[in-house]
Amino acid sequence: MSSNMLAMILAGGRGSRLHELTNRVAKPAVGYGGKYKIVDFPLSNCANSGIDVVGVLTQYESVQLNSYVAAGTRWGLDTKDSGVFVLTPREKADAGLDVYRGTADAISQNIDFIDTYDPEYLLVLSGDHIYKMNYAKMLDFHKEHNADATIAVIGVPMKEASRFGIMNTDGKGRIVEFEEKPKKPKSNLASMGIYIFNWKLMRKMLLKDMKDPKSSHDFGKDFIPVMLNEGRTLCAWEFKGYWKDVGTIDSLWEANMDLLDDKNELNLNDPTWRIYTEDAAVLPQYIGPEAKIKRAYITQGVEVEGSVSNSVLFTNARVCSGAKVIDSVLMPGVTVEEGATVTRALVADGVRIGKGATVGKKNSENILLVAEDVKGKED
Amino acid sequence: MANKAFGVITSAAGHFHVEGLHDYRPIGAFSFLGRYRVIDFPISNMSNSGIDQIQVYVSSRPRSIAEHIGTGRHYNINSKRGKIQLLFSQINNPQSIYNNNVTSFLENYEIIERMSLPYVVVAPSYMVYKQDYQKLLDDHVESGADVTLLYHRVNDARDTCLSCNVLNLNKQKGVLSITPNMGTANEKNIFMDTYVMSKELFLDLIRQAKALSSVCTLSDIVSLKAEDLDVRGVAHRGTFATITSFNDYYCANLGLLDRDRADDLFRSNWPIYTRTTNACPTKYFDTAEVRKSMIANGCLIEGEVENSIIGRDVRIRKGAVVKNSIILAYTEIGEGVRIENTIVDKWARVNRVKEIVGRPDHPDYIRRGDTV
Repeated sequence: MSSNMLAMILAGGRGSRLHELTNRVAKPAVGYGGKYKIVDFPLSNCANSGIDVVGVLTQYESVQLNSYVAAGTRWGLDTKDSGVFVLTPREKADAGLDVYRGTADAISQNIDFIDTYDPEYLLVLSGDHIYKMNYAKMLDFHKEHNADATIAVIGVPMKEASRFGIMNTDGKGRIVEFEEKPKKPKSNLASMGIYIFNWKLMRKMLLKDMKDPKSSHDFGKDFIPVMLNEGRTLCAWEFKGYWKDVGTIDSLWEANMDLLDDKNELNLNDPTWRIYTEDAAVLPQYIGPEAKIKRAYITQGVEVEGSVSNSVLFTNARVCSGAKVIDSVLMPGVTVEEGATVTRALVADGVRIGKGATVGKKNSENILLVAEDVKGKED
Repeated sequence: MANKAFGVITSAAGHFHVEGLHDYRPIGAFSFLGRYRVIDFPISNMSNSGIDQIQVYVSSRPRSIAEHIGTGRHYNINSKRGKIQLLFSQINNPQSIYNNNVTSFLENYEIIERMSLPYVVVAPSYMVYKQDYQKLLDDHVESGADVTLLYHRVNDARDTCLSCNVLNLNKQKGVLSITPNMGTANEKNIFMDTYVMSKELFLDLIRQAKALSSVCTLSDIVSLKAEDLDVRGVAHRGTFATITSFNDYYCANLGLLDRDRADDLFRSNWPIYTRTTNACPTKYFDTAEVRKSMIANGCLIEGEVENSIIGRDVRIRKGAVVKNSIILAYTEIGEGVRIENTIVDKWARVNRVKEIVGRPDHPDYIRRGDTV
């Protein structure tokens, strides 16, 4: 291990607020931005930050996720000592098979895995955020401040601060108080769920936490408050840039739409910080003679014969002639047949919208998730 | 099932010259359809046919091709049992008369001798087509022929494939001779520079060619031996394009905007592999107008594009119009610029000159990295 820091991505959540999208795949494997999967972001960030061992912690549907992340080649995590490992709850000699009881417990149950690399620092990440971050810079900050733990924070609008875990600092970066969803927030620095810990201390504290019957084994609820109570040095590292939680259909749709915004800060084509993903052996995008495209984010393998406006189209999506796609996200392999109209919808992988069918409504309150084929007028 | 043949991919002989583009890279490394390089087609054909021992002969300016092929991992070839070897020739002048395939085979003779497989499939790095070499090999073995050659019947040989060879066949598809296409008639059997034979015969022909003359090519020696050997022609059907002249390159690209031609070449059971650059998807702005075009990833399109091929990471600014053109990767077409019937090479920036309009039968060319 070259960087002395090992990363663990918490990808355990079922992501049930993403409904049918996560029926067959775990949340980190859900698509984003035309060609990516959510998990590509933390993995590419790790690869670009010089971290070469990454554990992905998950409890659900891990076969598909496993085969996806196991090919570490995609992110360049394929040198001799590097690798990506999917870590599901395992039966151990001295303990029964247990689900991960909380975010901190997921790390505790993998102490043996982490020990094999004997890292100095442990980076804990969340698996459902879209952002580009150089974790090496955060580690520099952590070292400069001689911190026991560093938490990445982002400034949020004050009126929204009560939806987040808020860090109150002493003005020099040291955290003096942590409030989960405070009614009257004292600061607007929200935790991004990204932590760097000194592994030796953390290991000791995790062993203690595992045995504590009152603990729910969660970083935000238990582990961080205990550290603060013990008077440990916790620092807040402020991140500036694009960051989005994609835990719901609406926020996943919004995050995709952000890519169409000309002022969007998330530049996915920055040659110094590329986001890596699986490459599909497909043709470039084909735009037909009658096609109309306004404001769209389209990837290779897509065919457009109809019209597309304000939409994001994933690999191998097809919009047939006379079809209209408006304010929508079409996941990989979606077909919108002749004359069909899709408005304000997120259409799941492989779904077929039949000829002349209409799905979604303009000005609808929520984004419509279409997870099953829609019959056409002639079917 | 592993194929019993190893693959040999040849570089273009000295008499093939593609104006402009060729000054920077061998034909195999030419960008194709915005996403591929020409050499992806023969390598994918071999990989899909189960050939996993592949020799790629590179005779000049090896950088781009070496970089593109790399470990060969992206061609879906087993990294332990299979391999792609890049074999370099010392002839550095691509136009030299000594730059022919027999010279490069001779320079690597021992390496060919050491191949443990009994057959060889030789294919060019400068033609685009889809072919199952397993089937070609099976038919070759079954027919009992000494050499099987692949050809494509064209009906426009007066204007295209002008530097290619032609197979002269008897009624039983026996090859009588191989002669250059002089453009004397439209109907011709264009030789696809693709051979199947045993490794022993291949080595024997290389030795005989050397004994005969230093400028004798593989097709020359096969043509000369056509009387003594059983040389058979097999017709190729489907999409076929040569990249052996500037016009052919231009037509081969734009011709694939025809859906039927493209669908024949690209099938889900016959993937064409290439190296990813990890470019993000393409962004179409409010002002974009795009029709009948193939667009690679990573582009920012604010202007108008029609009947064109746009490579990776290209920027087309507001008010720009691109028609019947091929725009290679990393170029920028500035505001209000009009480009028609033109090939713009990589890294070029067109800002000052507001109109570049070539003739449909003689497209214009903007050099690599030029600012105009």
